[in-house]
Parts: sequence; C-alpha cells; structure tokens
Amino acid sequence: MSWTIGVDVGGTFTDFHARDGASGREVVFKRPSTPADPGEAILSGLAEMAEAHDVPLAEAARIAHGTTVATNALIQRKGASIAAVATKGFRDLLEIGRQVRPHMYDLNLDKPEPLAGEAMRFEVAERLDWRGEAVLPLTDAEAARAAREIVDSGADAVAICFLFAYRNPAHEQQLADAIRKIAPAMRISLSSDVQPEFREYERFQTTAINAYLQPLMAGYVERLATGLDDAVKGAALGVNQSSGGLMSAQRTASFPVRTALSGPAAGAVGAAHIALRAGRPNVVTLDMGGTSADVALIEDGRTEIAFQRDVAGFPIRLAMVDIDTVGAGGGSIAWFDRDGLLKVGPISAGAVPGPACYGQGGTEPTVTDANLVLGRLSPTGLLDGAMPLDPVVAETSLKPVAEKVGVSLQEAALGVLAIAVANMTRSVRRMSVERGRDPREFVLMAFGGAGALHAREVAAELGMGEVLVPPSPGIVCAEGLLVSDQKEDFVASLRLPLHADQMSVAADTVTSLAGRAAEWFDAENLPGATRTMELALDLRYVGQNFELIVPVASAPSLSGADMPDIKALANAFFTAHDRAYGFHDPGAAIEIVNFRMTARGRLYDAEDMPEPGKAQPMPEPTGHRPVWFDGKASMETPIYRRETLAPGMTFTGPAIIDQLDATTPVHPGDTVDVRPDGSMLIALKGA
Amino acid sequence: MSNSNAAELDAIGLEILTNALKSINDESFVALMKASYSTNIKERHDHSTAIMNADGDLIAQADMSLPIHVASMSGLMRCVIEKYGDDIHAGDLFVANDPHTAGGTHLPDVNFAAPVFVDGSLVGFVCNIAHHADIGGMAAGSMSGGMTEIFQEGLRIPVTRIGTKDEINQEILDIFLLNARAPTERRGDYYAQIAAAKLGVRRMQELGARYGAKTMRAGFRQLLDRSAARIADALKQVPDGTYNFRDMMDDDGVETFDIVFEVTIVAKGGKLSFDFAGSSPQVPGNVNMTLNATQAAVIYAIKALLDPEAPNTQAVIDCAPITAPEATVCNAVFPAPVAGRAHTCQRVIDVVMGALAPALPDRVPAAPNGANTMAVFSGVDPRNGEAYVYLETIGGGAGGRPTKPGKDGVQTGITNTSNLPVEAIEMEYPLMVLEYGLVPNSGGAGKHPGGRGIRRVVKPVDHACTFNGVGERFRHAPWGLQGGEDGGKGRFGFIGANGAETPLPGKTGDRLVPDGSMALVESPGAGGWGKAE
Repeated sequence: MSWTIGVDVGGTFTDFHARDGASGREVVFKRPSTPADPGEAILSGLAEMAEAHDVPLAEAARIAHGTTVATNALIQRKGASIAAVATKGFRDLLEIGRQVRPHMYDLNLDKPEPLAGEAMRFEVAERLDWRGEAVLPLTDAEAARAAREIVDSGADAVAICFLFAYRNPAHEQQLADAIRKIAPAMRISLSSDVQPEFREYERFQTTAINAYLQPLMAGYVERLATGLDDAVKGAALGVNQSSGGLMSAQRTASFPVRTALSGPAAGAVGAAHIALRAGRPNVVTLDMGGTSADVALIEDGRTEIAFQRDVAGFPIRLAMVDIDTVGAGGGSIAWFDRDGLLKVGPISAGAVPGPACYGQGGTEPTVTDANLVLGRLSPTGLLDGAMPLDPVVAETSLKPVAEKVGVSLQEAALGVLAIAVANMTRSVRRMSVERGRDPREFVLMAFGGAGALHAREVAAELGMGEVLVPPSPGIVCAEGLLVSDQKEDFVASLRLPLHADQMSVAADTVTSLAGRAAEWFDAENLPGATRTMELALDLRYVGQNFELIVPVASAPSLSGADMPDIKALANAFFTAHDRAYGFHDPGAAIEIVNFRMTARGRLYDAEDMPEPGKAQPMPEPTGHRPVWFDGKASMETPIYRRETLAPGMTFTGPAIIDQLDATTPVHPGDTVDVRPDGSMLIALKGA
Repeated sequence: MSNSNAAELDAIGLEILTNALKSINDESFVALMKASYSTNIKERHDHSTAIMNADGDLIAQADMSLPIHVASMSGLMRCVIEKYGDDIHAGDLFVANDPHTAGGTHLPDVNFAAPVFVDGSLVGFVCNIAHHADIGGMAAGSMSGGMTEIFQEGLRIPVTRIGTKDEINQEILDIFLLNARAPTERRGDYYAQIAAAKLGVRRMQELGARYGAKTMRAGFRQLLDRSAARIADALKQVPDGTYNFRDMMDDDGVETFDIVFEVTIVAKGGKLSFDFAGSSPQVPGNVNMTLNATQAAVIYAIKALLDPEAPNTQAVIDCAPITAPEATVCNAVFPAPVAGRAHTCQRVIDVVMGALAPALPDRVPAAPNGANTMAVFSGVDPRNGEAYVYLETIGGGAGGRPTKPGKDGVQTGITNTSNLPVEAIEMEYPLMVLEYGLVPNSGGAGKHPGGRGIRRVVKPVDHACTFNGVGERFRHAPWGLQGGEDGGKGRFGFIGANGAETPLPGKTGDRLVPDGSMALVESPGAGGWGKAE
C-alpha cells in the first residue's frame, strides 16, 4: 500500500500523478475529461494508467482529488432547489446582499439571481442579540410550524441562517431537528456549521451555496467512492479544499462549498512544493491555461490565504488560496474595441471551437494562433502531434489584425502576445506590488499548458530575473494533490478587546478550539507524529470594519497556554498592519474578532532533496525551425525534447523546449540551468 | 509595438500604454486606500485617482474611480493651468476643494495634483481626490442639512501650491488640520493622498524613461482622439430631435419645496446638447450643484445609455455642450451651499434619462429610487459611555427595464456604496435592527416591474438616541415609463410601542427617538416599464 495518486479534473483534461513512496517511482498520465460525469474519466484513467505504466492499483493507499464539480454547478446554475430560512424580518437578505451592483455604468448587468427565489425564502420567529443570548426564544411550536412550511415547499435542501447564530447555534440546530423529524433525509446546511463568523449576508450566502451544492456533490462523491472501491480497493479518497488540504468524502458531501476553488488551490500547493525542491522558495506562479491565467504569491514555500472571493458572481466567505485570475489564456481572442484599440481576451475560443489553428471551425485569432505564427509552438501540434495545428489557418486568422494595424503578420502576432502579457503583468502587480511585495525578489514560476510560452516576457516587464519551469508544467495541480495534507479549519467568532483582563477568556477559547482539533485528528485516524495545529487571530483596531489575520502559534498540539502575551500579539498585529496598510498606530485599541485553528495531518513524507546533477553536455537537438523572437527577423532555432534534458545541463537561448503538454521558448541570450529536480531555471539576459 | 524612436503608437502600442496607465492609477488608488486612516476611504473607497495630460485633460482613471470625482479632478486641472500656466515645476504639488473657485463639487472632496516631467518637459499630471470625513464648518461631517451658505460647510481651499521641490509646506497643511475635526485622522488621510501622488509621479517617470516625452505626449493625444471618435460614434445612436423632460426634488431641507429640474436635449446630425433652462433658481438649502457636477451626472447618463464600457477621458466628459442659466440649482454660484449634491445628481440623471426615453425606447429604464437615502443615529452608548454616530446610505429600487424588471434594493446612479452588516451594527452601536427587507408593493407595476425599496426598522437599546434622515422622492414618486406605473415613495417615521406610526419629513433634522419607539426608514422603490399585461 505504498502508492499515492493525485487526480485533477479540469475542463479539458484529467491529470494523474502517481508516486510509489517505497521506491520513489513517479508516473504522470493525462486523458480527456468526461464533463457529463467527471468520475468516468477518473475511473477509466486509473485503469489506463495502470495498464500503460504498470502502476499496481491494489497498492494504492490514497487517491487525492481536485474537482470542478461544485464550481461548474454554480456557474451553470445546476444545483438543487433550496429553501433559505432567516430570522423574522430578514427574509430578503440574500436578495439585497450588500446593496451594490456589479457595474457602475451598465444598466443591464445584474448580480446573479438569488439561489432561493421569493417563494423559497422563509422566516422564523426567533432572535438572538449580539452576545448570542435569546431575546426572542424559538418555541417548539414555531419550530414545528416552520419545519412543516419548509418541507412542504418541496425543497431538495435547506439553508438556515439566523442572526448571531455564530455566537450560539442552538436555534439553528433546534429548527434542523424539527425538520429532520418530518423529513429525515433532508440535507440541511446551518450557517453555524458552514461558516460561523459574523456578517450575516456573506454567512447566509455561503450557507445557501453549500445547500445548493449538497445533493449534487453528495451524489458525485458517493458514486466515485463506489467506483473506486471496485477499482482501487482500500484506497482512501480525499478531496481538495479551496484552502489547499484534503477532506474526506463524507465531509465533502457535507461541505461542498469548500471545493469551489479545489483545482486552482491544488496548483498553488503543487507550485509551493516544486518551488522548495527547486531551491527557490519565493515565487509568483503563472498558471496559464486555455481561457485564463491564475496568479498566486508563494513566500517561504507557503501560499497566501484569502477569506473572501467571488465565485460565479456570488461572494463565498471561506478560507481559500489567494489567487488572482485574469482572462488571458491560449484561447483568448484578439479583437478591436470601439475606439480601435486591440484587446486580447477575456473572451475565449474555449476548447470548442478552440483557436483557429485547431481547425475545428474557429476563425478568430487567438494567443495560440499568434504563438504558432511565430514558430514558438510546433506545427506538428500539441500533445506530441495528437492534436495537430494548422499554421495556414492561424495566419489567415491574424491577417485582418495585421492589415488593420498596418504591420507585418509577425508584428501583429507579437502584438497579440504583448497585450496578453500586459494583462498578466497587471495581475502579478496586483498580487505583489499592491500587497507590499517587490516582484523583483521573487521568481516567476510558469505552468499550465501556456504559462511557459509567456512567462519570460511577463518577468522582463516586472524586472524579475528568473523564470522557473517545473519538470511537468501541465500537471502541477495533480502533483499538488499528491503532496497535500489532510486539513480542517475551526473558527470561533468572538469579539474581545486585546486587554489583560480578557486573556483568560481568550485562552479558554483556544483550548476549546484545540479540543475540537484533537477530536478531528482522532476521528481521521491521523497519527500523532503527523499532526500540526496552527492558531491565527483576526485582529483589528476598534472601530475598523476589516480584520487582519495574524498567525500566532504552530505546534503538534496547542492549548490556551500557548497564547502569546498581549505585547507580542500587538507587535504581530503592528507588523501585519504595516505590511498591509503602510503604517500602524501604537496607541489605538486593538480587538480580537475571530480565533482560527487549522488542523493539519501530514499524509506525504517529503522525499529527500534531489542530488545536484553533474555538469554534462547537451543532447543533439531533434531539429531546427525558424522562430520569431522579435518582429524584425526569425532565427533558426534548435528544438530539444524536455525528456532529454538532465540535471546539470546548462545552455543559452535561442532554443525551443518541447514536451508532451507544454512548450518553453528560451529567448536569445537567456541561460538555462536544469536543476537537480529537473526544473528549468531560466536566467534572463542582462538581469 | 512601442518603438521608442517613433512618436506615433499603433493600435497595439496604444493598448499597452493604456494598460500601463491603468496599472499606475490602480496602484495609486490602492496606495491611497492603504495609507489612509478613515473608514470612508479605507472601506467605502470614497476616493479616485487619474492621469491628465499637460493641458489638464483626463487621459485615464482608476477602475474604481467615481464619476463625480472625475469631474472635480478635471475641474481642478483647469484652474491649476489657468492660475499657474508656465509657472509649474517638477516637485510641485497642488491642492484645492472649493466648488466656486477651484473646480470642486463639494468641500469634503479634497483634490491633489502633481505635475510629471519627462526629459525636462511637462507631459502631464497625476491627480487624486478623497472624501474627508470632516472638513470643518458648522456641523460634524460637513454634510448636514440646514446650512445655507458655503462658509458653513467647511474650509474652502482655493487652488494652492502646497508643495515645491518635493517638500510639503507644513504651514499650509497645519491650516487645514486646525480647521477640521479629528485632525489626527485628517493628517493620515492627507499624507495618504500626498504619498499616492508621489508614487504616481514616480511610476509616470518610469514610463517616461521607456517611451520618451515625445511619444508619451503623442500617445495621450492619440488616446483622446480615439476616445472622441468612439463617443461621437455612440452619440449617433440618438435620433435627431428635441427632447424635453421635467422632474422635481422634494425640498432643500430649509424652506424650498418642489424644486424643478428641466432639461432640453437637442440631437442633430449625431451631436447632442443639453440645456437646463427652466430649472429652479438656486436654493437656500445645500442641494445645489456647480455646473461641473451637473456635467458629471449628464455624462453618467450618456455612458450608461450609449456606451457603458467607454473609458472615461476628457473627450467623454466634453462630448456634448451642457448649459444652465447661472444661479440655478444646476449651475449654482457663490455663496450657494452644495454639500448635499449627491441627491441632486440623481435627479439630473433622472431628467436626462426621462428626456431620452422617447429617443431610445428600447434602452431607457423607468425612474430608479432617485435618492441617496441617508439615516444617521447618534447618542451615547450605555455599554461604554462613549458617544457614537452611525451613518448609512441606503439603496432602493432600480427602474423596470425594456428587457427585464428593475432590481430590488440596490444602489443606482452615481452611488454604489455598500451597507453595514446588521451584526456589525448591533455589535458596535446600542441599536437593534428589527427589520431589514424589501418594501412590499414599492416596485411600480408594469410589464417589467420596478425594483422595491428597502425597509429598515431600528430600535435604540437602553439609551436616548437621535435620528437624522435625509431622503428624496418622499413627495414625488419615481416615474413609470411606457405605461408602467410609478414606484413607491420613501418615508421616515417613528413606530410607537403600540404600533402607531408617526410620519417624519424627508429631511428630518435631528430628532430624539421617543422612549420605547423605533425609527422606520423606507427608501423609494422604482417605476415600472411597460403596461402590465
């Protein structure tokens, strides 16, 4: 039982990364996805991989899965019919939201329709005050009345969010019990379980999304678990959460909203792992696929966490890997705006019809067409020729752009790339400069199918000196799944002044959270040596309405005794405030808003760091082709297969490095160092 | 492609230049937000950043810039150039806020502008503006109703050179600080604006090092030309004709009721002109507007109807002549008070939309809630003995549209600020919110009904609480269109322990909430579109 398998399901491909912990053998595999039932590609892919690469599935202890089931259901509005239940007087919370509209000028662009229409919104006579004390107790008769009304509505699932339930879940639980009494199988999401934090709209919305996804996700993981039970008997299934870290199939069925960013989070975790192994712990990731590029910042091998993000127009307030997404991908279309400026994206040709050069009926010029025209992509096509590309069609698609701008075909293609690069550069600036980080102190890590094609130009724009291309840029997400921890987040939303006479309450809160974490470790059968508890506090100045998350302590086990003293907490808050806002006020009163405990069980024993390779000569190129690095002239450029590059090799561009699912152009004068782990570290000329 | 030898950029090079300008504006915007002290800037983002060319014409703004701010920044630039002309040097910093002499729209919005020199010559300016939570004057917050001349509204800052050779004139800044409440917070916000301006200059100079002054200037000119062509093209969508519309504001909170707003729009050969003749004389209360605030409201309506994605530039701002007789509500002159001009902007948008409805029947929605409904609660918190002020602006209905119903409970027109969560209100203030929902039947009936207003019922907890409400469309309902019915009006009131309601006027002034009573706030709904079937 020494194998672990990471499976990442994307829109186009399902990626596998398997590793034998005993021998260190690794296998990567890719097959087309099956969007109608994503589980199908997983099950058949496992069998195909076992067959093709001799992976003994019976020896698999664990399958770690990244999924887009929740995200797609939300985008396509294919979830359940839900009942949304609120405190009396607040039934319209989901409709009003924060009362803002998504676009200042567009009179026709609306926020999405609420997941529960007017007829499916219910009120219950009950009320807690800000301390969580019942001002209007929920009577059994009222609970029974409401339960009947809700069940009779025909809802498939129920979301309950009462005011201040994060302080006291009793009323929400009482109503859930009343519903279960008459509808034992009803799926119920309580705001006090899903996201027990203050701010009622965000909590309600997150809870409603959870309910909306529950029936679908429960069905999916059950089918998948059954299928895996036949194929990979005895392997535990873990599903990746948006915050990075796996949860069990059962918890996935209960908390599907936590998987809204499952795939991208896995990419960031994989990137952090690779960055450490390549000896570059500070990286900005550029994960560029067919329709968009994801940018994340990794410092000291750790990803940043954000606590709110919009998915399909809905705010979700949960811990998520902090990722900025920009509409720049291989399929992004070049078009002229009404003022005549050339734009690239966010409109995308998608997988169907895809870029013009796919020959599937697309006619509009895309980033991929531009790369093909410039010789940066091989005319033999993607996936080693399994997906041929047609340079003639690509040229035809770009010709109108060249004519309208009045430049050569190659200059037009370079222009399309330069605009896509400018869009990605803005994204990297948002994630670094605008958050108090200097991108020049980071390495740009390129992955996804298209990241390596453009990273060099993005890095140059930002003054970054190095670009890192992982050994298998197309399956970084699957690799991230492989190395992920089992993880659970606990939160106590309790507002306390940061004051000496409150510290015993604070310590008790931490002890209680640690107790819940310990119970979870036991329930998940995670051995003591694999356990870590991480405590963080949401702190703010009194009167502010935004919090900063300040990490406080990390150890195999924590208790109230591990709370630092007030001075240390204040100093940690000052540092965080300086970084986020450029100043702090040493005299102003500080308060704690939330206590956060993250429990991690390490599932993956880190491999030894790879031995440095010995200097060795380059292999013979597999061929040459003309490549345009600038608009003036093409250069006859040697082509290498990535598999033939070994640690210790160094070379200078121009060169094109082809591999199954990625292409890396090495620009003239840039130098490449193949790192011990097989990554290519590209040093920009003159940097 | 950006070729540093050529002065002209092509469609690709211009897009890349635009992207770089956006990046500079966005970075300055975030820097200002981060370094500021006040909630109003940090959380409500009541600030904007922009880049102008050497003539003071707006070239680009941050994505989150507010329409009314853009008018002020461009107003300041005109005044700076008029006053200082050739006497502008690297390291200068200019400041102003006055609506009557310095291009502003109300005093709390303080404007900064810094020149950018590349290769020794002036290529443009970076500007930023922020709404300060207090600028002095008669009442805390400098926005309260009841003020009848601009002097009562706070410190008036003419166009002033506050910095030379990268040094701030501390003595001038000290005058500002001495004239505002909460000077520590003010100092923080002023320094944030100064820092954002310096950052913008530095980034512009980096851009200048890449492009050179000549290409940069030419690029700005090309962007303006293209923007002008784009908006001219958009204006052609309005068929030739003369379009007139009249509407009213309820009152000015002092003594004037039924304030008239009238616009006549002439469309001819693809060009538009706007004349506000027929509008009421300026009023004693603070709902007057200077002409450039009127312009901001008109441009908002034009863009929303004709080209919502058009980037804001000087070419867009100046795309049509806008006239209004002097000393009227749409073109107020000294010493008119103007602090409450947000409501007025909404009404100007309403009349422009109303006038264009016959011209663009498949685009113009029915009237939205047309207000910037504000509710202020204040008192002393019995839990800690500290004074508190809780202010909130409340959305309302959006008008029914030719294609679909209007949205319920949402900000419209020139404002888009968010609410404060009920759980945050009750933790921070001694108040309990008993209802927060949509006002039944407040959306005008129609084929596509109007959106509903928002209802809030708030009870003071264990203390004497003062309520102050500023509302509009309490007397004149948001109109329906194409046969749709009018939306519900707004209202304020107190609800007694026995459930009896006491109505309050639309501009209440400070009122003590009677013991055991609750305050009721209902924002207006919106008109319906088309006859109900």
